[in-house]
Amino acid sequence: MDVMADVSHENTLAADSGAARVQERMQKRNQARIESVERRREAKESQSVAEENYEFFSSTFNREREGIEELLSGCSGADRATAAQNLEEATVRTAQLQKFLSDSTLFLKQYDLRKAQAALQTLQTSLTETREEALPKKKFAFRARTKGADRACAPAADTPPPSAVSPAEPGSTQTDGASEQCGFSNLSEQLLIKTSEEVQKRDVLLTHLTNCKVRLFGSPSTLHLKHIQGCEILCGPVSSSVFVDRCTDSTLAVPCQQLRTHNTTDTRVYLHVTSRAIIEDCRGVSFAPFSWSYPTLEEDFAVSGLDQTRNNWSQVDDFNWLAAGTPSPNWTVIPEEERRTSWDP
Amino acid sequence: MGLLTILKKMKQKEREMRLLMLGLDNAGKTTILKKFNGEDVSTISPTLGFNIKTLDHRGFKLNIWDVGGQKSLRSYWRNYFESTDGLVWVVDSADRLRLEDCKQELSALLLEERLAGATLLVFANKQDLPGALSKEAIREALALDEIKSHHWCIIGCSAVTGENLLTGVDWLLDDIAARIFTSD
Repeated sequence: MDVMADVSHENTLAADSGAARVQERMQKRNQARIESVERRREAKESQSVAEENYEFFSSTFNREREGIEELLSGCSGADRATAAQNLEEATVRTAQLQKFLSDSTLFLKQYDLRKAQAALQTLQTSLTETREEALPKKKFAFRARTKGADRACAPAADTPPPSAVSPAEPGSTQTDGASEQCGFSNLSEQLLIKTSEEVQKRDVLLTHLTNCKVRLFGSPSTLHLKHIQGCEILCGPVSSSVFVDRCTDSTLAVPCQQLRTHNTTDTRVYLHVTSRAIIEDCRGVSFAPFSWSYPTLEEDFAVSGLDQTRNNWSQVDDFNWLAAGTPSPNWTVIPEEERRTSWDP
Repeated sequence: MGLLTILKKMKQKEREMRLLMLGLDNAGKTTILKKFNGEDVSTISPTLGFNIKTLDHRGFKLNIWDVGGQKSLRSYWRNYFESTDGLVWVVDSADRLRLEDCKQELSALLLEERLAGATLLVFANKQDLPGALSKEAIREALALDEIKSHHWCIIGCSAVTGENLLTGVDWLLDDIAARIFTSD
Protein backbone atom coordinates (compact mmCIF):
# COMPACT_ATOMS: atom_id res chain seq x y z
CA MET A 1 0.00 0.00 0.00
CA ASP A 2 2.76 2.34 1.04
CA VAL A 3 4.72 1.43 -1.98
CA MET A 4 1.67 2.04 -4.10
CA ALA A 5 1.14 5.42 -2.46
CA ASP A 6 4.74 6.32 -3.01
CA VAL A 7 4.52 5.35 -6.60
CA SER A 8 1.33 7.28 -7.13
CA HIS A 9 2.88 10.27 -5.36
CA GLU A 10 5.85 10.07 -7.62
CA ASN A 11 3.52 9.85 -10.57
CA THR A 12 1.72 12.95 -9.43
CA LEU A 13 5.05 14.70 -9.09
CA ALA A 14 6.04 13.65 -12.57
CA ALA A 15 2.66 14.73 -13.93
CA ASP A 16 3.00 18.06 -12.10
CA SER A 17 6.38 18.81 -13.57
CA GLY A 18 5.08 17.71 -17.02
CA ALA A 19 2.13 20.09 -16.77
CA ALA A 20 4.42 22.92 -15.69
CA ARG A 21 6.64 22.32 -18.69
CA VAL A 22 3.69 22.27 -21.04
CA GLN A 23 2.39 25.45 -19.54
CA GLU A 24 5.80 27.03 -19.81
CA ARG A 25 6.05 25.99 -23.44
CA MET A 26 2.61 27.31 -24.14
CA GLN A 27 3.43 30.60 -22.49
CA LYS A 28 6.58 30.88 -24.52
CA ARG A 29 4.71 30.12 -27.68
CA ASN A 30 2.04 32.63 -26.82
CA GLN A 31 4.75 35.20 -26.17
CA ALA A 32 6.29 34.47 -29.55
CA ARG A 33 2.92 34.74 -31.22
CA ILE A 34 2.21 38.10 -29.62
CA GLU A 35 5.64 39.30 -30.58
CA SER A 36 5.21 38.23 -34.16
CA VAL A 37 1.79 39.89 -34.34
CA GLU A 38 3.40 43.01 -32.94
CA ARG A 39 6.18 42.79 -35.50
CA ARG A 40 3.73 42.35 -38.34
CA ARG A 41 1.64 45.25 -37.09
CA GLU A 42 4.72 47.44 -36.93
CA ALA A 43 5.76 46.38 -40.40
CA LYS A 44 2.33 47.18 -41.69
CA GLU A 45 2.30 50.56 -39.98
CA SER A 46 5.67 51.47 -41.37
CA GLN A 47 4.30 50.76 -44.83
CA SER A 48 1.07 52.68 -44.60
CA VAL A 49 1.59 56.31 -43.71
CA ALA A 50 -0.79 57.92 -41.26
CA GLU A 51 -1.99 60.29 -44.00
CA GLU A 52 -3.13 57.36 -46.11
CA ASN A 53 -6.43 56.69 -44.48
CA TYR A 54 -9.87 57.86 -45.30
CA GLU A 55 -10.57 59.70 -42.02
CA PHE A 56 -7.51 61.86 -42.39
CA PHE A 57 -8.29 62.54 -46.05
CA SER A 58 -11.92 63.37 -45.55
CA SER A 59 -11.34 65.69 -42.60
CA THR A 60 -8.51 67.56 -44.36
CA PHE A 61 -10.45 67.73 -47.61
CA ASN A 62 -13.62 69.03 -45.98
CA ARG A 63 -11.78 71.55 -43.83
CA GLU A 64 -10.05 72.99 -46.89
CA ARG A 65 -13.26 72.99 -48.92
CA GLU A 66 -15.11 74.90 -46.22
CA GLY A 67 -12.25 77.39 -46.10
CA ILE A 68 -12.53 78.04 -49.82
CA GLU A 69 -16.31 78.31 -49.65
CA GLU A 70 -15.94 80.88 -46.91
CA LEU A 71 -13.56 82.87 -49.11
CA LEU A 72 -16.05 82.76 -51.96
CA SER A 73 -19.01 83.82 -49.85
CA GLY A 74 -16.88 86.73 -48.63
CA CYS A 75 -16.72 87.99 -52.20
CA SER A 76 -20.34 89.03 -52.52
CA GLY A 77 -20.73 92.58 -51.37
CA ALA A 78 -16.99 93.10 -50.95
CA ASP A 79 -15.19 95.79 -52.94
CA ARG A 80 -13.35 94.86 -56.14
CA ALA A 81 -9.86 94.64 -54.70
CA THR A 82 -10.89 92.38 -51.82
CA ALA A 83 -12.96 90.20 -54.11
CA ALA A 84 -10.08 89.88 -56.56
CA GLN A 85 -7.72 88.95 -53.75
CA ASN A 86 -10.17 86.42 -52.34
CA LEU A 87 -10.71 84.88 -55.75
CA GLU A 88 -7.00 84.66 -56.38
CA GLU A 89 -6.49 82.84 -53.09
CA ALA A 90 -9.48 80.60 -53.71
CA THR A 91 -8.13 79.63 -57.11
CA VAL A 92 -4.75 78.71 -55.70
CA ARG A 93 -6.27 76.76 -52.84
CA THR A 94 -8.64 74.91 -55.19
CA ALA A 95 -5.68 73.88 -57.31
CA GLN A 96 -3.90 72.64 -54.18
CA LEU A 97 -6.99 70.72 -53.19
CA GLN A 98 -7.11 69.13 -56.63
CA LYS A 99 -3.51 68.04 -56.21
CA PHE A 100 -4.23 66.67 -52.75
CA LEU A 101 -7.07 64.64 -54.18
CA SER A 102 -5.02 63.29 -57.07
CA ASP A 103 -2.24 62.39 -54.62
CA SER A 104 -4.76 60.46 -52.57
CA THR A 105 -6.29 58.45 -55.40
CA LEU A 106 -4.07 55.49 -54.54
CA PHE A 107 -5.70 54.60 -51.25
CA LEU A 108 -9.20 56.03 -51.68
CA LYS A 109 -12.10 53.78 -52.53
CA GLN A 110 -13.87 54.40 -55.83
CA TYR A 111 -16.95 55.76 -54.09
CA ASP A 112 -15.02 58.18 -51.87
CA LEU A 113 -12.96 59.31 -54.83
CA ARG A 114 -16.02 60.06 -56.91
CA LYS A 115 -17.67 61.86 -54.01
CA ALA A 116 -14.59 64.03 -53.52
CA GLN A 117 -14.33 64.75 -57.24
CA ALA A 118 -17.98 65.80 -57.34
CA ALA A 119 -17.41 68.11 -54.36
CA LEU A 120 -14.39 69.63 -56.08
CA GLN A 121 -16.36 70.10 -59.28
CA THR A 122 -19.10 71.95 -57.39
CA LEU A 123 -16.44 74.08 -55.78
CA GLN A 124 -14.90 74.96 -59.13
CA THR A 125 -18.27 75.83 -60.59
CA SER A 126 -19.09 78.14 -57.72
CA LEU A 127 -15.61 79.66 -58.02
CA THR A 128 -16.27 80.45 -61.69
CA GLU A 129 -19.72 81.81 -60.92
CA THR A 130 -18.42 83.99 -58.13
CA ARG A 131 -15.67 85.32 -60.37
CA GLU A 132 -18.16 86.23 -63.08
CA GLU A 133 -20.40 87.87 -60.52
CA ALA A 134 -17.74 89.81 -58.62
CA LEU A 135 -15.44 90.72 -61.48
CA PRO A 136 -17.52 90.60 -64.65
CA LYS A 137 -14.98 92.48 -66.76
CA LYS A 138 -12.23 90.03 -65.88
CA LYS A 139 -13.92 87.30 -67.85
CA PHE A 140 -11.48 86.11 -70.50
CA ALA A 141 -12.28 87.75 -73.82
CA PHE A 142 -10.16 89.33 -76.46
CA ARG A 143 -10.41 93.05 -76.99
CA ALA A 144 -10.73 94.43 -80.48
CA ARG A 145 -7.31 96.06 -80.42
CA THR A 146 -4.40 95.68 -78.05
CA LYS A 147 -2.71 98.55 -76.33
CA GLY A 148 0.44 97.67 -78.24
CA ALA A 149 -1.28 98.17 -81.57
CA ASP A 150 -2.76 101.47 -80.47
CA ARG A 151 0.62 102.75 -79.49
CA ALA A 152 2.09 101.60 -82.76
CA CYS A 153 -0.60 103.39 -84.73
CA ALA A 154 -0.12 106.80 -83.17
CA PRO A 155 3.41 107.48 -84.44
CA ALA A 156 2.60 105.89 -87.80
CA ALA A 157 0.24 108.75 -88.60
CA ASP A 158 2.94 111.38 -88.92
CA THR A 159 5.64 109.27 -90.54
CA PRO A 160 6.27 109.12 -94.30
CA PRO A 161 4.71 106.34 -96.42
CA PRO A 162 5.45 102.78 -95.24
CA SER A 163 7.99 101.99 -97.92
CA ALA A 164 10.24 104.80 -96.76
CA VAL A 165 10.25 103.79 -93.10
CA SER A 166 13.49 102.31 -91.85
CA PRO A 167 13.56 98.59 -91.03
CA ALA A 168 12.25 97.38 -87.68
CA GLU A 169 14.41 96.74 -84.67
CA PRO A 170 14.48 93.06 -83.79
CA GLY A 171 12.31 92.32 -80.79
CA SER A 172 10.38 95.57 -81.10
CA THR A 173 6.99 95.36 -79.45
CA GLN A 174 4.96 97.02 -82.15
CA THR A 175 2.20 94.91 -83.62
CA ASP A 176 1.28 97.11 -86.52
CA GLY A 177 3.23 95.37 -89.24
CA ALA A 178 2.71 97.66 -92.21
CA SER A 179 4.42 100.65 -90.63
CA GLU A 180 7.78 99.00 -90.18
CA GLN A 181 8.07 96.02 -92.47
CA CYS A 182 10.13 96.01 -95.61
CA GLY A 183 7.91 96.15 -98.72
CA PHE A 184 5.39 98.14 -100.75
CA SER A 185 1.74 98.95 -100.18
CA ASN A 186 -1.13 100.99 -101.62
CA LEU A 187 0.42 101.61 -105.04
CA SER A 188 -0.72 101.21 -108.63
CA GLU A 189 0.68 101.37 -112.16
CA GLN A 190 4.34 101.43 -111.09
CA LEU A 191 7.59 99.57 -111.44
CA LEU A 192 8.80 98.74 -107.91
CA ILE A 193 12.29 97.45 -107.20
CA LYS A 194 14.11 96.35 -104.05
CA THR A 195 17.80 95.60 -104.06
CA SER A 196 19.51 92.66 -102.47
CA GLU A 197 20.70 94.76 -99.49
CA GLU A 198 17.14 95.85 -98.74
CA VAL A 199 15.49 92.44 -98.67
CA GLN A 200 18.29 90.13 -97.52
CA LYS A 201 17.09 87.93 -94.58
CA ARG A 202 14.08 90.20 -94.04
CA ASP A 203 10.32 89.64 -94.01
CA VAL A 204 9.02 91.35 -97.12
CA LEU A 205 5.38 92.46 -97.31
CA LEU A 206 3.52 93.58 -100.42
CA THR A 207 -0.09 94.74 -99.92
CA HIS A 208 -2.79 96.49 -101.92
CA LEU A 209 -0.89 96.69 -105.20
CA THR A 210 -2.73 97.12 -108.50
CA ASN A 211 -1.19 96.72 -111.97
CA CYS A 212 2.37 96.99 -110.69
CA LYS A 213 5.57 95.27 -111.75
CA VAL A 214 7.63 94.25 -108.74
CA ARG A 215 11.23 93.01 -108.80
CA LEU A 216 12.76 91.82 -105.55
CA PHE A 217 16.44 90.97 -106.04
CA GLY A 218 18.01 89.10 -103.14
CA SER A 219 16.98 86.47 -100.62
CA PRO A 220 14.19 87.46 -98.18
CA SER A 221 13.40 85.35 -95.12
CA THR A 222 9.67 85.28 -95.90
CA LEU A 223 7.45 86.94 -98.47
CA HIS A 224 3.84 87.98 -97.82
CA LEU A 225 1.54 89.06 -100.65
CA LYS A 226 -1.90 90.38 -99.77
CA HIS A 227 -4.58 92.09 -101.88
CA ILE A 228 -2.69 91.98 -105.14
CA GLN A 229 -4.40 92.65 -108.46
CA GLY A 230 -3.03 92.46 -111.98
CA CYS A 231 0.59 92.51 -110.85
CA GLU A 232 3.74 90.80 -112.03
CA ILE A 233 5.89 89.93 -109.02
CA LEU A 234 9.33 88.38 -109.38
CA CYS A 235 11.39 87.53 -106.32
CA GLY A 236 14.74 85.94 -105.48
CA PRO A 237 15.01 82.74 -103.38
CA VAL A 238 12.95 82.93 -100.16
CA SER A 239 14.56 80.87 -97.41
CA SER A 240 11.28 79.83 -95.71
CA SER A 241 7.68 80.40 -96.81
CA VAL A 242 5.83 82.55 -99.28
CA PHE A 243 2.32 83.59 -98.29
CA VAL A 244 -0.17 84.62 -100.93
CA ASP A 245 -3.60 85.90 -99.91
CA ARG A 246 -6.31 87.52 -102.05
CA CYS A 247 -4.37 87.76 -105.24
CA THR A 248 -6.09 87.98 -108.65
CA ASP A 249 -5.03 88.12 -112.31
CA SER A 250 -1.36 88.16 -111.46
CA THR A 251 1.88 86.45 -112.34
CA LEU A 252 4.37 85.40 -109.66
CA ALA A 253 7.82 83.89 -109.95
CA VAL A 254 9.64 82.79 -106.82
CA PRO A 255 11.83 80.04 -105.38
CA CYS A 256 10.98 79.11 -101.77
CA GLN A 257 10.80 76.32 -99.23
CA GLN A 258 7.00 76.37 -98.88
CA LEU A 259 4.27 78.17 -100.82
CA ARG A 260 0.95 78.80 -99.08
CA THR A 261 -1.71 80.26 -101.33
CA HIS A 262 -5.11 81.44 -100.08
CA ASN A 263 -8.19 83.06 -101.67
CA THR A 264 -6.41 83.49 -104.94
CA THR A 265 -7.90 83.39 -108.45
CA ASP A 266 -6.59 83.35 -112.00
CA THR A 267 -2.93 83.61 -111.11
CA ARG A 268 0.11 82.03 -112.72
CA VAL A 269 2.93 80.90 -110.47
CA TYR A 270 6.43 80.15 -111.81
CA LEU A 271 7.68 78.20 -108.87
CA HIS A 272 10.70 76.53 -107.39
CA VAL A 273 9.62 74.85 -104.14
CA THR A 274 11.74 72.44 -102.13
CA SER A 275 8.94 70.99 -99.99
CA ARG A 276 5.41 71.44 -101.34
CA ALA A 277 3.00 74.12 -102.45
CA ILE A 278 -0.53 74.29 -101.06
CA ILE A 279 -3.64 76.15 -102.15
CA GLU A 280 -6.74 76.88 -100.07
CA ASP A 281 -9.94 78.55 -101.27
CA CYS A 282 -8.37 79.19 -104.66
CA ARG A 283 -9.44 78.68 -108.24
CA GLY A 284 -7.81 79.10 -111.61
CA VAL A 285 -4.27 78.94 -110.23
CA SER A 286 -1.71 77.52 -112.63
CA PHE A 287 1.86 76.43 -112.07
CA ALA A 288 5.08 76.18 -114.08
CA PRO A 289 8.75 75.81 -113.08
CA PHE A 290 10.60 78.96 -111.99
CA SER A 291 12.28 80.57 -114.98
CA TRP A 292 13.23 84.12 -114.00
CA SER A 293 16.94 84.85 -113.78
CA TYR A 294 19.15 87.76 -112.77
CA PRO A 295 22.93 88.16 -112.36
CA THR A 296 23.22 87.29 -108.64
CA LEU A 297 20.58 84.55 -108.55
CA GLU A 298 23.12 81.80 -107.84
CA GLU A 299 24.57 83.67 -104.87
CA ASP A 300 21.10 84.35 -103.49
CA PHE A 301 20.25 80.67 -103.79
CA ALA A 302 23.32 79.95 -101.67
CA VAL A 303 22.25 82.56 -99.08
CA SER A 304 18.74 81.12 -98.86
CA GLY A 305 20.00 77.58 -98.33
CA LEU A 306 17.45 76.21 -100.82
CA ASP A 307 18.32 73.05 -102.71
CA GLN A 308 18.45 74.02 -106.39
CA THR A 309 18.14 70.45 -107.55
CA ARG A 310 14.90 69.74 -105.71
CA ASN A 311 11.85 71.38 -107.28
CA ASN A 312 8.36 70.05 -106.51
CA TRP A 313 6.52 72.78 -108.39
CA SER A 314 3.94 70.39 -109.82
CA GLN A 315 3.03 68.71 -106.50
CA VAL A 316 0.32 70.97 -105.20
CA ASP A 317 -1.94 70.09 -102.24
CA ASP A 318 -5.41 71.60 -102.34
CA PHE A 319 -6.90 71.83 -98.85
CA ASN A 320 -10.37 72.05 -100.34
CA TRP A 321 -9.90 68.91 -102.37
CA LEU A 322 -9.10 66.04 -100.08
CA ALA A 323 -10.33 63.29 -102.41
CA ALA A 324 -7.43 61.06 -103.30
CA GLY A 325 -7.16 59.88 -106.89
CA THR A 326 -9.10 62.65 -108.62
CA PRO A 327 -7.05 65.79 -109.35
CA SER A 328 -8.23 69.10 -107.91
CA PRO A 329 -10.14 71.31 -110.38
CA ASN A 330 -8.74 74.42 -108.70
CA TRP A 331 -5.24 74.33 -110.18
CA THR A 332 -3.53 73.30 -113.41
CA VAL A 333 -0.09 73.03 -114.96
CA ILE A 334 0.67 75.71 -117.56
CA PRO A 335 1.27 73.96 -120.90
CA GLU A 336 4.89 74.25 -122.01
CA GLU A 337 4.14 76.33 -125.12
CA GLU A 338 2.29 78.93 -123.00
CA ARG A 339 5.03 79.42 -120.41
CA ARG A 340 6.81 82.78 -120.18
CA THR A 341 10.53 82.66 -120.88
CA SER A 342 11.47 86.35 -121.00
CA TRP A 343 10.79 88.60 -118.04
CA ASP A 344 12.36 91.94 -118.89
CA PRO A 345 10.02 94.79 -118.10
CA MET B 1 -0.50 46.16 -50.00
CA GLY B 2 -3.36 44.66 -51.91
CA LEU B 3 -3.21 43.42 -55.45
CA LEU B 4 -5.33 46.33 -56.68
CA THR B 5 -2.94 48.83 -55.17
CA ILE B 6 -0.02 47.13 -56.85
CA LEU B 7 -1.80 47.23 -60.18
CA LYS B 8 -2.63 50.91 -59.72
CA LYS B 9 0.99 51.69 -58.89
CA MET B 10 2.18 49.82 -61.98
CA LYS B 11 -0.20 51.73 -64.18
CA GLN B 12 1.03 55.02 -62.82
CA LYS B 13 4.62 53.99 -63.46
CA GLU B 14 3.81 54.09 -67.18
CA ARG B 15 3.25 57.84 -66.96
CA GLU B 16 1.61 58.43 -70.26
CA MET B 17 0.61 61.90 -71.42
CA ARG B 18 -1.24 63.25 -74.41
CA LEU B 19 -0.15 66.59 -75.85
CA LEU B 20 -2.04 68.43 -78.57
CA MET B 21 -0.15 70.92 -80.70
CA LEU B 22 -2.20 73.60 -82.44
CA GLY B 23 -1.71 77.04 -83.98
CA LEU B 24 -2.22 78.91 -87.23
CA ASP B 25 -0.73 77.53 -90.42
CA ASN B 26 2.99 78.25 -90.87
CA ALA B 27 3.48 78.65 -87.11
CA GLY B 28 6.04 75.83 -87.07
CA LYS B 29 4.16 73.02 -85.33
CA THR B 30 5.53 70.19 -87.45
CA THR B 31 9.02 71.67 -87.32
CA ILE B 32 8.89 71.77 -83.51
CA LEU B 33 7.72 68.17 -83.40
CA LYS B 34 10.40 66.93 -85.78
CA LYS B 35 13.17 68.97 -84.20
CA PHE B 36 12.20 67.70 -80.75
CA ASN B 37 12.36 64.18 -82.10
CA GLY B 38 15.74 64.83 -83.74
CA GLU B 39 14.56 64.55 -87.34
CA ASP B 40 15.44 66.57 -90.44
CA VAL B 41 13.42 69.80 -90.60
CA SER B 42 14.45 71.16 -94.02
CA THR B 43 11.91 69.28 -96.14
CA ILE B 44 8.70 69.81 -94.17
CA SER B 45 5.58 70.48 -96.23
CA PRO B 46 2.43 72.22 -94.99
CA THR B 47 0.55 69.59 -92.97
CA LEU B 48 -2.42 68.16 -94.82
CA GLY B 49 -4.05 66.27 -91.97
CA PHE B 50 -2.01 65.47 -88.87
CA ASN B 51 1.15 63.85 -87.49
CA ILE B 52 1.42 61.73 -84.36
CA LYS B 53 4.66 60.97 -82.54
CA THR B 54 5.11 58.82 -79.49
CA LEU B 55 8.33 59.47 -77.70
CA ASP B 56 9.92 58.81 -74.33
CA HIS B 57 11.20 61.79 -72.43
CA ARG B 58 12.28 61.91 -68.78
CA GLY B 59 10.50 58.66 -68.07
CA PHE B 60 7.24 59.92 -69.52
CA LYS B 61 5.62 58.46 -72.59
CA LEU B 62 4.46 61.41 -74.69
CA ASN B 63 1.83 61.11 -77.37
CA ILE B 64 2.17 64.31 -79.37
CA TRP B 65 -0.53 65.20 -81.89
CA ASP B 66 0.33 67.83 -84.46
CA VAL B 67 -2.74 68.91 -86.42
CA GLY B 68 -2.56 71.08 -89.55
CA GLY B 69 -3.39 74.76 -89.01
CA GLN B 70 -4.86 75.77 -92.37
CA LYS B 71 -8.19 77.53 -92.12
CA SER B 72 -10.02 74.63 -93.73
CA LEU B 73 -8.55 72.20 -91.18
CA ARG B 74 -9.33 74.20 -88.05
CA SER B 75 -12.89 72.91 -87.87
CA TYR B 76 -11.38 69.43 -87.42
CA TRP B 77 -9.30 70.45 -84.39
CA ARG B 78 -12.14 69.58 -82.06
CA ASN B 79 -11.84 65.92 -83.04
CA TYR B 80 -8.56 65.82 -81.18
CA PHE B 81 -9.59 67.50 -77.91
CA GLU B 82 -10.60 64.38 -75.98
CA SER B 83 -8.36 63.44 -73.02
CA THR B 84 -5.71 66.05 -73.80
CA ASP B 85 -3.35 66.64 -70.87
CA GLY B 86 -1.42 69.50 -72.40
CA LEU B 87 -2.14 72.03 -75.15
CA VAL B 88 0.82 73.48 -77.02
CA TRP B 89 -0.15 76.67 -78.84
CA VAL B 90 2.47 77.64 -81.41
CA VAL B 91 2.75 81.26 -82.58
CA ASP B 92 4.75 82.58 -85.54
CA SER B 93 6.32 85.55 -83.75
CA ALA B 94 7.21 87.21 -87.05
CA ASP B 95 3.67 87.10 -88.45
CA ARG B 96 2.33 90.41 -87.16
CA LEU B 97 -0.49 90.50 -89.68
CA ARG B 98 -2.29 87.52 -88.25
CA LEU B 99 -1.77 88.03 -84.52
CA GLU B 100 -5.40 89.06 -84.22
CA ASP B 101 -6.45 85.79 -85.90
CA CYS B 102 -4.14 83.91 -83.62
CA LYS B 103 -5.66 85.55 -80.57
CA GLN B 104 -9.19 84.70 -81.61
CA GLU B 105 -8.45 81.06 -82.38
CA LEU B 106 -6.76 80.66 -79.00
CA SER B 107 -9.61 82.29 -77.11
CA ALA B 108 -12.09 79.97 -78.81
CA LEU B 109 -10.02 76.96 -77.78
CA LEU B 110 -9.84 78.02 -74.16
CA LEU B 111 -13.62 78.13 -73.93
CA GLU B 112 -13.73 74.51 -75.09
CA GLU B 113 -15.02 72.28 -72.32
CA ARG B 114 -13.00 69.24 -73.31
CA LEU B 115 -9.78 71.23 -72.96
CA ALA B 116 -10.77 72.68 -69.60
CA GLY B 117 -8.34 70.50 -67.65
CA ALA B 118 -5.37 70.91 -69.99
CA THR B 119 -2.23 72.90 -69.24
CA LEU B 120 -1.40 75.56 -71.85
CA LEU B 121 2.11 76.10 -73.18
CA VAL B 122 2.51 78.96 -75.66
CA PHE B 123 5.57 78.73 -77.89
CA ALA B 124 6.54 82.13 -79.32
CA ASN B 125 8.30 80.47 -82.20
CA LYS B 126 10.78 81.80 -84.80
CA GLN B 127 12.78 83.89 -82.35
CA ASP B 128 15.75 83.36 -84.66
CA LEU B 129 14.19 85.67 -87.28
CA PRO B 130 15.29 89.32 -87.11
CA GLY B 131 11.71 90.58 -87.39
CA ALA B 132 10.28 88.38 -84.63
CA LEU B 133 8.29 89.91 -81.78
CA SER B 134 9.59 89.19 -78.29
CA LYS B 135 7.71 86.77 -76.08
CA GLU B 136 6.57 89.70 -73.92
CA ALA B 137 5.01 91.35 -76.97
CA ILE B 138 3.25 88.10 -77.88
CA ARG B 139 2.09 87.71 -74.31
CA GLU B 140 0.53 91.15 -74.49
CA ALA B 141 -0.89 90.71 -77.98
CA LEU B 142 -2.61 87.46 -77.04
CA ALA B 143 -3.74 88.92 -73.68
CA LEU B 144 -2.40 85.83 -71.93
CA ASP B 145 -2.49 87.53 -68.53
CA GLU B 146 -6.25 87.41 -68.63
CA ILE B 147 -6.34 83.63 -68.74
CA LYS B 148 -7.51 82.34 -65.37
CA SER B 149 -9.04 79.10 -66.52
CA HIS B 150 -5.82 77.23 -67.35
CA HIS B 151 -2.28 76.91 -66.06
CA TRP B 152 -0.20 78.62 -68.74
CA CYS B 153 3.32 79.66 -69.62
CA ILE B 154 4.89 81.39 -72.62
CA ILE B 155 8.34 80.42 -73.89
CA GLY B 156 10.25 82.10 -76.71
CA CYS B 157 11.79 79.45 -78.92
CA SER B 158 13.14 78.61 -82.33
CA ALA B 159 12.15 75.35 -83.93
CA VAL B 160 14.90 75.71 -86.53
CA THR B 161 17.74 76.05 -84.01
CA GLY B 162 16.00 74.00 -81.32
CA GLU B 163 16.49 76.78 -78.77
CA ASN B 164 14.24 76.51 -75.68
CA LEU B 165 12.13 73.64 -77.00
CA LEU B 166 13.27 71.45 -74.13
CA THR B 167 12.64 74.18 -71.55
CA GLY B 168 9.06 74.51 -72.73
CA VAL B 169 8.27 70.83 -72.86
CA ASP B 170 9.87 70.25 -69.44
CA TRP B 171 7.71 72.96 -67.89
CA LEU B 172 4.64 71.39 -69.47
CA LEU B 173 5.52 67.91 -68.18
CA ASP B 174 6.16 69.18 -64.67
CA ASP B 175 2.87 70.99 -64.57
CA ILE B 176 0.88 68.04 -65.90
CA ALA B 177 2.68 65.55 -63.69
CA ALA B 178 1.92 67.61 -60.59
CA ARG B 179 -1.72 67.50 -61.57
CA ILE B 180 -2.36 63.92 -62.64
CA PHE B 181 0.27 61.70 -61.08
CA THR B 182 0.89 60.91 -57.45
CA SER B 183 4.08 62.24 -55.99
CA ASP B 184 5.70 58.96 -55.07
